[in-house]
Amino acid sequence: MAQDQNYILEMCNITKKFPGVLALDDVTLRVRPGTVHSLMGENGAGKSTMMKCLFGIYQEDGGEIFVNGKKENFSSAKHALETGVSMIHQELSIVPERSVMENIWLGREPGKKLGPVQFVDHKKMFKDTETLLKNLEMEFSPNDRMGSLSISHQQACEIAKAVSCDASIVVMDEPTSSLTETEVNHLFKIINSLRDKGVAIIYISHKMSEIFQISDDVSVMRDGKLIATKKASELDEDKLIKLMVGRDMTNRFPPVDSIPAEVCLSAKNYTSDVERSFKDISLDLRKGEILGLGGLVGAQRTEFVESIFGLRKIKTGTLSINGKEIRIKSPEDAINAGIGLITEDRRGSGIFPLLSIIDNTSIPSLKGCRKKVGFLDHKKIFNTATGINKKLRTKTPTFHTPIQNLSGGNQQKVIVSRWLMTLPEILIMDEPTRGIDVGAKYEIYTIMSELVNAGKAIIMVSSEMPELIGMSHRVAVLCNGNLTGVLEKNDINSENIMRLATQFE
Amino acid sequence: MDTKISAVADKKGIVTLKTIQHTLGKHTNLVTLVVLIVALGIMTGGRALQISSLQNLMVAEAVRAFAALGVGLIIINRGIDLSIGQVVGLVACVSASLAQTSDYAGALYPGTVFPVFLPIIVGIAVGTLFGIINGLLVAYGNLPPFIATLGTMSIAAGLQLIYTRASTIGSLKNEYKHIAQGSLGPLPYLMIYVLAAVLILWIMMTQTRQGKAFYAIGGNPQAARVSGINVKLNLLKVYALGGFLYGISGVLLSSRLGLANPLTGDGMELDAIAAATVGGISHSGGIGTIGGIFIGVFTLGIITFGMTYMGVDSYYQLLVKGMIIIVAVYFDMKRHAKRA
Repeated sequence: MAQDQNYILEMCNITKKFPGVLALDDVTLRVRPGTVHSLMGENGAGKSTMMKCLFGIYQEDGGEIFVNGKKENFSSAKHALETGVSMIHQELSIVPERSVMENIWLGREPGKKLGPVQFVDHKKMFKDTETLLKNLEMEFSPNDRMGSLSISHQQACEIAKAVSCDASIVVMDEPTSSLTETEVNHLFKIINSLRDKGVAIIYISHKMSEIFQISDDVSVMRDGKLIATKKASELDEDKLIKLMVGRDMTNRFPPVDSIPAEVCLSAKNYTSDVERSFKDISLDLRKGEILGLGGLVGAQRTEFVESIFGLRKIKTGTLSINGKEIRIKSPEDAINAGIGLITEDRRGSGIFPLLSIIDNTSIPSLKGCRKKVGFLDHKKIFNTATGINKKLRTKTPTFHTPIQNLSGGNQQKVIVSRWLMTLPEILIMDEPTRGIDVGAKYEIYTIMSELVNAGKAIIMVSSEMPELIGMSHRVAVLCNGNLTGVLEKNDINSENIMRLATQFE
Repeated sequence: MDTKISAVADKKGIVTLKTIQHTLGKHTNLVTLVVLIVALGIMTGGRALQISSLQNLMVAEAVRAFAALGVGLIIINRGIDLSIGQVVGLVACVSASLAQTSDYAGALYPGTVFPVFLPIIVGIAVGTLFGIINGLLVAYGNLPPFIATLGTMSIAAGLQLIYTRASTIGSLKNEYKHIAQGSLGPLPYLMIYVLAAVLILWIMMTQTRQGKAFYAIGGNPQAARVSGINVKLNLLKVYALGGFLYGISGVLLSSRLGLANPLTGDGMELDAIAAATVGGISHSGGIGTIGGIFIGVFTLGIITFGMTYMGVDSYYQLLVKGMIIIVAVYFDMKRHAKRA
């Protein structure tokens, strides 16, 4: 089948299924040579999955990929690179201790033969790199140590690497997420010069202003579908946001009808001690309230809530609980102050995989489960832990089963039980329903609703728009470490959240 | 066929092949030890199992048991300790030097009379001090435990040679030697110390918050931190406790031998780590019991003892020991892989 020669890349009717989810539903993406094609969509819309299918990291379940009119099925990123398709990842894959030129030519070093032995031709490598960097107007030397360069220069090296492979298609995944404004401008200069050479750039970003500054074409994805591909000149911010979020809301949430009372937690001027993290955030949380915390990946929501819990350090900021100012320096302090935290990464910092459900539930509460001499009161531990888990309907063969044998949803219920056992007044839930099935999600929502009805307060960090809208009394939105706004109940809708979440300046 | 029968029998509450298998599977270590003892008994016609032989076995293994308990706890917390042998050796030399008979001309402190408790206290303090240093380096200095304890191992080795001027410290007081050489009826004192330590540590690991914290840190340090456990402080504690146990080990070693020299503790780190490993302490952390370590020590002990008794060349004994360690860990890893 002859493909249209007007396109350098065509991904036709791509479908990708994961157990229980249709990640990509018949998506067709066409990219013209010598253009910047932006790919937009909410977290989880399917942008990364699409790119992973292109590079053979995932095998698509249906559809075809054409590069320059020729059908391709890449088995790996290396294979794709050999055909001229390159990707600059959000997290750069560099070897910091080696030089710029060694990084650029890694795995394909120019060789010279000396008798039967193949040696690396360092002279040629240096010269080629020098020319390459000069053409791209990059002001560092091939011999510089990669780790000594700034992040933007490291990124420039990756781009140089792509150019050195004669890449005709370059995919950039959130390339500006850790760059300053001047660095962004430099990057755009490089992108423009690539475009003039006929290279097609697929640009993935959430930043509206950049999209309009650099793109020729824009494709919007939502819920695994391609919603539209349009010329950037035909769009404006409002139109774009509508395309990104327009979806029907179905009845996936229990009613949350508690009425928030007085303020129980108040954070003032919270600023991280890490640069480029959250800055000057002031937020109040009221009893009986679910406060949604929205934002895009990298908005520093997790960093902010983990600082409240004492897991991360702050440079400035005060915290009061029930009007009394307190200092929380460690999770232990937070627990004593009546705060619980369900972390975002269940496997990484939530479960103790080999320990039983009882142990997993009771660990932060053991202080209150001791007999006179200080020995543990196993009976009390067992009764309390199983009681809470039964109430939350954790499904398990026995309560002595290691938690790793349970499904994600049931593991999450155990973690929720863990924090309920500490009798918290304030519960911070970071992505409380990530990676669990729809039924378990509803049960978690129900528990949350019951908690706020009982006068507890919840901060819910979520990247799922419907969850934020369906569950929150108010939604605070972070963007790039700044609090860009707090939406009251009547103003909570996708458009407003997305607008605040992309308010970069 | 088998499963069918057992399924029926299970309902009737009869002990079946399957339930036996299940129980055995849970206590592989103990089963191995019992099988080895029985096998040794049969092969030697019961002679190897006489009380006097068993007493020798207990005495030989007791000192090592303290070291294995120490390092076992550290491994449960995802650590490792290579300094054991040299710290035990240093403690043995220091405590021996304070327990020499005062009229012995070659003594390190000739003519000085020290109270008999002094070598014990100083010895244990030296061990604990090294444990604290290891703990500080690992927990607060963020050094990889392998490297931190490799360093302190060399430091302890050097200090031994400097302190003893590379010679043997002998002629220890009888009261001091009695600490490890005496016995209560048929039961050597050494064995009583070991059993007491096992009991106390078992209580700590199963009945207190401290034990739960250690298992939690070994299982998932990040989750432990979120759960309000002070991970750094607990790591310091476990290395210090390890050092304390090596201290006891060193004191008992000099008392049992009646002397000490800079070679006294050589290689004990490997024996201790091997015993803990054979006893089911997993190097991925969070798994293992005090009883397991105890069994591990005596399993390795009985293998050595049995081979010696049957006249196996000591060179070959090393081969057999090495293979047993590999086999034990191989099956252990396989079992945990299945569970994960």
